[in-house]
Amino acid sequence: MSTRRRGKAIGAGALALVAAVIATSLGVAGAGAGEQSAFALPRAQTFYMSGSQWSPYGDVNPAKTWDYSTGTIGLAYETAFRFNPLTGAFIPWLATGGNWRTNSVYVMNIRRGVKFSDGKTLTPGDVKYSFDLLKAPTHPQNALWASTGLKTVKVVGNTVVFTFAGKPGYQQFDFYRYNVAIVPRHVFSKYSTTELMTGNLDADNIVGTGPYAYVSGASSTAQTFVWQRRAGWWATKALGLRPAPRYVVDIHNSSNQAALANFQAGNIDLFNNFAPRSAIKGKFKTFFNKAPYHLGANTTWLFPNTTKKPLNDPQFRRALAYSINMNQILDKAYQGLVDKASPTGLLPIWSKWVDKKVVAKYGFSYNLNRAKAILAAAGYKDTDDDGYVENKDGSDISLKIQCPNGWSDWMTSIQVIAESAKAAGIKITPGYPDYGTLVDDRGHARYDLVLANDRQYSNTPWTYYQYIFQLPILDNQTTVNYERFSSPKAWALTQQLDRTPTTNTKAYRAVMSKLQTTFLQNLPAIPLWYNGMWAMFNTTYWTNWPSATGGKYTPTAWNNYWQMTSIDMLTHLKPAKGN
Amino acid sequence: MWRYLFRKVSIYVVTFVVAVSIDWAIPRFMPGDPIQGLLSRMQAQPQASEELTSFYTEAFGFDVPLWKQYLNFWAALFQGDLGLSITNYPIPVTELIMGALPYTLALLVPAILLSFWAGNKVGALAARRKTLDNTVLPMSYVLTATPQMWLGIILAWVFASSLALFPVSGAYGFALQPEWSVEFARSFLHHWILPFSALFLVAFGGWAIGMRNLIIYELEADYSNYLASLGAPTRLVRKYAYRNALLPQITGLALALGAVVAGAIVVEIVFSYPGLGTLTLNAIENRDYFLIQGIFLFLITGVLIANLVIDIAYVFIDPRTRVGMQGGA
Repeated sequence: MSTRRRGKAIGAGALALVAAVIATSLGVAGAGAGEQSAFALPRAQTFYMSGSQWSPYGDVNPAKTWDYSTGTIGLAYETAFRFNPLTGAFIPWLATGGNWRTNSVYVMNIRRGVKFSDGKTLTPGDVKYSFDLLKAPTHPQNALWASTGLKTVKVVGNTVVFTFAGKPGYQQFDFYRYNVAIVPRHVFSKYSTTELMTGNLDADNIVGTGPYAYVSGASSTAQTFVWQRRAGWWATKALGLRPAPRYVVDIHNSSNQAALANFQAGNIDLFNNFAPRSAIKGKFKTFFNKAPYHLGANTTWLFPNTTKKPLNDPQFRRALAYSINMNQILDKAYQGLVDKASPTGLLPIWSKWVDKKVVAKYGFSYNLNRAKAILAAAGYKDTDDDGYVENKDGSDISLKIQCPNGWSDWMTSIQVIAESAKAAGIKITPGYPDYGTLVDDRGHARYDLVLANDRQYSNTPWTYYQYIFQLPILDNQTTVNYERFSSPKAWALTQQLDRTPTTNTKAYRAVMSKLQTTFLQNLPAIPLWYNGMWAMFNTTYWTNWPSATGGKYTPTAWNNYWQMTSIDMLTHLKPAKGN
Repeated sequence: MWRYLFRKVSIYVVTFVVAVSIDWAIPRFMPGDPIQGLLSRMQAQPQASEELTSFYTEAFGFDVPLWKQYLNFWAALFQGDLGLSITNYPIPVTELIMGALPYTLALLVPAILLSFWAGNKVGALAARRKTLDNTVLPMSYVLTATPQMWLGIILAWVFASSLALFPVSGAYGFALQPEWSVEFARSFLHHWILPFSALFLVAFGGWAIGMRNLIIYELEADYSNYLASLGAPTRLVRKYAYRNALLPQITGLALALGAVVAGAIVVEIVFSYPGLGTLTLNAIENRDYFLIQGIFLFLITGVLIANLVIDIAYVFIDPRTRVGMQGGA
């Protein structure tokens, strides 16, 4: 064969290879779309969701509320009660009810006839055991024992009796009533304490009372975590509930963009990632059918470092709050997907506790002239004519506002804040450190201004006030009071709120009113907007989704929401016609 | 020969020790405390955070002085223990790496070998052939100048998002779990093609250009002209030219390995491919010391071993090296 011919042959061979690869891929693409494999899950009976799991799957320890694989609590393990944040009502679940026998003794009635997935019956002893686990100081939910006054948990007949010393932390205790996973003692007692507190536990040994059983995915590289509906869930018989999807598959997140492309391709039914407003169209629906489209899940706060000049001055913070052009943030960063927060920072689900008079008196909204006037009155003047005000002692003010790098909506927002503060004469420069650095700097007060939104929906605004006012201030403030606002009065009020039962409406309202006054007078943190409970629904395979006009349930697979009302989403879904 | 090998291996050992020491040091001197990051993620109540801090500090061995941490690191290393992941506590780093490794290898090995083979063949064909030279050469220039990540994004946009011929992300379909089945293999192949192509095409361009230039150089060498003047067929002349041109390319392969591995890391991120690249990104974002360390250590070792293998292979491929080592002229 001549070189020329040989060359041609190789060329032809290469072309054939390329053609073969393309043909194979197209063939595979066609097969993927049409054929149903014996191995693959049936699409019409499977519920795909994304937006919850960012760390690898593998952790199925219900104590690790921030880390466990999606659905560990809610689908497998359940809680004594559930809480509906949209109505404010507690829903009896593994407990049929409970009441305060005295001011410091709470009695929980345990539901009879509930069986774990291994066939053993749930007993009050399991409930006591589950609450007792929190006694270990390294248990992430140890605060139940450390700060509510809880002294003993005892089984009496078919009830579990919680006895407190002194006035209980009612608000916190209510929180734990629907956040402590009820686990089987006969399985968990075989684990060591360290495993129970910090381990990942054995996925093949998940024995829960919930509607789903583990199938696969508990590995560090798994892309999906698969749950399968199990027969014999107690709520089917007791309450007539049955989740519609036979399989629930959680999809591991790598990026919002990749997830969105998969959602738009029809591979995901419930999309709990952030997506631009333009994605909401056609068969892709949301909780509200108009702006802001999503429920607000948490408040995004601007935390000033109150240990630094001039942010230690409430008047300066007030001027800053007035200078923020919130409408521009909503428009530029969110295209109307979020609502601006109440000046109190309280979520809409707590709006009944907002004292409108206090808000009218001390509240704030975007008003440049007002911002300038407050600065001038407080003695902040532009003495060197550079367009920015100086400290009272004449030194320059140059603040840095930060959010984690890559959080694009927040990055845009802090640019807007910097711009609008500039118009009021406050010099602020945006910065975008990576998340780890920001957390470290925030904890050690090495910052001027940061955004944070750690606290989600809960049964009580106490979680919000604790977030802002908790004392004492430690060397490293990892989770609360980032701004290091030191007010014993405010913290005492927060503790008073904790020790006031929600049912004592009058006293509760009075404390809430005082807290709002203290908060607004001092503005230790500036509430900005309600970050959305991002949720888009693909209506191709499933219908009857939660909505403002239909079933008012939390439409999210995020941890800690299943035991609110996300499980109701599954029991109310209906297969779409034609599938 | 043994002296040559000894010298080579010694250099690699020194490189390894230095690289591993740097690998140990870098994450420790990065700003940010990983345990505080973990506690923040946990939203641990302040009452519990002191207990938890001391628990995790001890669990990760941060409670001893730095020099001791360094020695402990080496001691553990020789037992194959790369420590526990911080963000995925208590999963061992080796387990995370071993889980991700097959996916990365499935991309890397075919991409390196096929691009080397095909690039050299096509480059050799293109040399001194006008039509091919006018098409392959400019195309190769464009390909080799393209960052893998950017090519990956373009491929994903065109073939996944717009034409919907391939999936956008992942290594297999959401309805499947890794297993030995035809269904899984098909899904895997379907997901593999785009990230593979991003790596393959860029490397292919580089090899093709290199080979095309080398062949032209070799064809103009005295031995080629001499052979041709003796009446040897063009095919034979080109065969010798190809063999000689391949030697610098093999050296190039050793040099390029690091770049290809780096390329695979970013391509994996583009396609959310569950390999070492995605693992690295997560580890860096979460300040997971031990995981970052473990992955880098793995990559360092891998690249060093591959280089050593190429160095040794060189002895067999190039008779001149062999003759030189045996004291011949």
